[in-house]
Amino acid sequence: MDDWLIALIKVVFIWVWVLLIAVIMTWVERRGASMIQDRLGPNRAGPFGLLQPLADGIKLFTKEDIVPDKAKKILFSLGPILFALPAFSAYAVVPFGDKIVLGGKEIILQVSDINVGFLYVVALGSMAVYGIIVGGWASNNKYSILGGLRSTAQLISYEVPLGLALLAITLIYGTFSLREIALAQQGTFLGVFPNWGIFKQPLGFILFIVTAYAEANRVPFDLPEAESEIVSGYHTEYGSMRLGLYLFGEYVNLCTLSALIVTFYFGAWHLPYINMAAFLGPISYGIASFLVFFLKVSFFLWLFVWVRWTVPRFRYDQVMGLGWKALIPLALINLFITALAIQLTI
Amino acid sequence: MAKPVVEKKYTLGERIYLLEILKGMVLTWKHFVFNFMASFRSGPHTVPTTWQYPEDRREISPIFRGEHMQTLDDQGREKCIGCGMCAKICPAQCISIVKAKVPEDQQELYAGKTYSSSFNIDLLRCIFCGFCEEVCPTNAIVLGQGYELAEYRREGCQRDKARLIENFRLARESGKLKPQRKPVIVAEPKAKPAPEGGAQKDPGVQKVEQAKPKKAAAAKETT
Amino acid sequence: MLEDSCLSGHSTGDYVKINIGPSHPAMHGTLRVVAWTDGETVVKADPEIGYLHRGVEKLAEAMTYHQFIPITDRLNYCSAICNNVSYEMAVEKLMGIEAPEKAQLIRVIMMELARIADHQVCVGILGVDLGAFTPFFYLIIQREEIYEIFEWYNGARLTNTFGRIGGVEADLPDDFDQRWRELRPNLIKAIDETDKLLTHNRIWMDRTIGVTTFSAEDALNWGFTGPCLRACGVKRDMRKDEPYCMYDRFDFEVPTGKHGDVFDRYMVRMREMEESIKIIDQAYKMYKELPADAPLMAKVPKAIRPPAGEVYNAIETPNGELGFFVKSDGSDKPYRLKIRPPCYMIYQAFPEMVKGEMIADLVACLSSLNVIAGELDR
Repeated sequence: MDDWLIALIKVVFIWVWVLLIAVIMTWVERRGASMIQDRLGPNRAGPFGLLQPLADGIKLFTKEDIVPDKAKKILFSLGPILFALPAFSAYAVVPFGDKIVLGGKEIILQVSDINVGFLYVVALGSMAVYGIIVGGWASNNKYSILGGLRSTAQLISYEVPLGLALLAITLIYGTFSLREIALAQQGTFLGVFPNWGIFKQPLGFILFIVTAYAEANRVPFDLPEAESEIVSGYHTEYGSMRLGLYLFGEYVNLCTLSALIVTFYFGAWHLPYINMAAFLGPISYGIASFLVFFLKVSFFLWLFVWVRWTVPRFRYDQVMGLGWKALIPLALINLFITALAIQLTI
Repeated sequence: MAKPVVEKKYTLGERIYLLEILKGMVLTWKHFVFNFMASFRSGPHTVPTTWQYPEDRREISPIFRGEHMQTLDDQGREKCIGCGMCAKICPAQCISIVKAKVPEDQQELYAGKTYSSSFNIDLLRCIFCGFCEEVCPTNAIVLGQGYELAEYRREGCQRDKARLIENFRLARESGKLKPQRKPVIVAEPKAKPAPEGGAQKDPGVQKVEQAKPKKAAAAKETT
Repeated sequence: MLEDSCLSGHSTGDYVKINIGPSHPAMHGTLRVVAWTDGETVVKADPEIGYLHRGVEKLAEAMTYHQFIPITDRLNYCSAICNNVSYEMAVEKLMGIEAPEKAQLIRVIMMELARIADHQVCVGILGVDLGAFTPFFYLIIQREEIYEIFEWYNGARLTNTFGRIGGVEADLPDDFDQRWRELRPNLIKAIDETDKLLTHNRIWMDRTIGVTTFSAEDALNWGFTGPCLRACGVKRDMRKDEPYCMYDRFDFEVPTGKHGDVFDRYMVRMREMEESIKIIDQAYKMYKELPADAPLMAKVPKAIRPPAGEVYNAIETPNGELGFFVKSDGSDKPYRLKIRPPCYMIYQAFPEMVKGEMIADLVACLSSLNVIAGELDR
């Protein structure tokens, strides 16, 4: 019975936590963009405009919910849910810290440490495309369907290098469990480098981060919602909280992807050269590991914002070209070299 | 109609995307840090390019072409003589004016022998070109610095004479009266003043020229 | 419009008709393009104009010569000053007068500032349409400073109503010197930063190089002028070829491109901004050498009644050759006034340019042409 309770608490905690990050991200995005662009950004609602997301939420909730006459009603309502749900679910296997000992009971800071966590993440990542294509299709709008199609093509193309890049990681760590991958990144190798994925897989890291941007539909891969071309892409016809779910799902996606980057390549909760577990008590170690993990995640969240306001957007065929002609061959080469290296060293 | 074909010649740095993107990110990071630090400064006008509008207003040019006003002379008399030049020149035809002779018992109210018994400006039509100001022989109509002209009703955008004079009083109190224009010098010195420079019709051209350094000083103070 | 030859062999059912504009985030003003697409590829693009038609030419017939100056502000509102000067010079030509030297120099300074402002908007918007938001702000912030100069000159920022027939209405303000000295480095920095963020970025290069190319011959046949023509490799600039306003006395270059693609148009505009800064420096130096009481206005009668006759005068505005044809019957109002907007000729070739390109290129092409609806529809 205890395990159930702990699992429930973890689920609720991660749910609230991810929601909170997504909410704060909308604020960070707008303020960060404004700072980059010599502006001030929203600073009226609350101190530093921190209540702006709340104001946005109230606005979205109270707006009239319009379903276009010729839209496919059921699919139209289903779209945002299909989009947001996988984004949340994917976080279930992502760790958010090492472990915490409460009342003599060791609690792993991860909702569920399933041994095929890797496959689960990749599978749910490709689920998001249904939300987009269903929403785009159901809207009965040409811009929406174009956005949906762009997104589908893009997500499916970039699944491949994403999976291949991650495959190299699993080759190195020899496991599909995210927690085990994270645990394996402690210590150093060759004396100087921390045992992190990025030092073992530099090319894989670049591949993963590029595909992560594509998976999240962020600039420079934001063609599905390219405002200047197809208005808002797949959510052109959406308003009210349905739109809110799409926007929210996007930020939750960012959060999940950042957590994945940290877990796979940036040593999860480990600090380089320092073993926190050695000199911290069981509870403080749990909290510290969570904080370190969160700090790393927030850096990558910020990176998403930073890049977005720096670079222009690709064209549809260029995205496809980059995916199939550059990233997939590179990912294959990377996989091959990794496999070769492992074969030779063992 | 064959389109020219372009050969793309990229250097290696350009070819691999990341180098130039990183350079761009360094640039945006510099801007971010600068503005981030600036946003901690006290005062409403922190980030140099943003004005927090209702609290923090930018300085308006002293010769801004905003809401009109009707000027009074030193003795508080209306300068307008109701000649209707402004209504005639107005490209948008937003001024309607009725000329009347000054009644015997109201001589102290008006500077001229005639006056405008009714003077209305439709701000919805006005394009703020400033021509009325330029043609006015007595400098009676002046475009002021008022730019907050939004109203809830169309009627609110009509300006009658009382309101225009009120505008003048408010501007005079806040010291926001328009400095007199420098005279426009016309090519032939002997020729009579050019038709469009309103100010040189003023009898005191000399005076205006003396006033010039003052304006320069004021401008320096403000900038 | 569908049975056109470009849909040869296909029925309209094979293509998707996409209606872009008149209210669409990528449309600058009220332009409308009806695009027939095969997937993402544009098979045929049909521009529709007239959403901002205000009958400016007819309006002129009911207005005195001076009254029409504010209306010219509303043509290409990004650089109203150039429109004003073009019209004023047409009327001056009709009357056989010439603005005094000082007025001409003030006109040059103001026109070049307006040119920079216009190019800043165009380049910035091009960036926005291609997804790069930030350069837009770096440029537009400096444009505000240019508008500040305009505001201190004659009290208006956007619709300036600059100049009068026969000269200009005011001398440069006393603080112009200081403002220009402050603005100049910032302007160069903003252009430089835009250059750094965009020019060598592979994403930007892929999006612009070789996109909607146009040959010089075609460009001449379609009546291109301005940066769009120069991007095609034709060295044609009214300021150099048919100097007015003492442009022959300034030392500046006419940047040209090669292929007439989006990248060349972007580069031509970027370099023209730098040339404009050079011109302003020289013009301001010459201005300072003139005595303070040099005339600003030619002698013009109170009511302008040009002798009966007709005249065409064009100058190089940021978009190209903006011409005014004025026919006078000796009264105080023009008998007929015709405007030759540069956009109109350029926009005609738009369907040819985007045929076979992608939807994203259509948007990029449109913003690089800098089609301004106010000027196009008049």
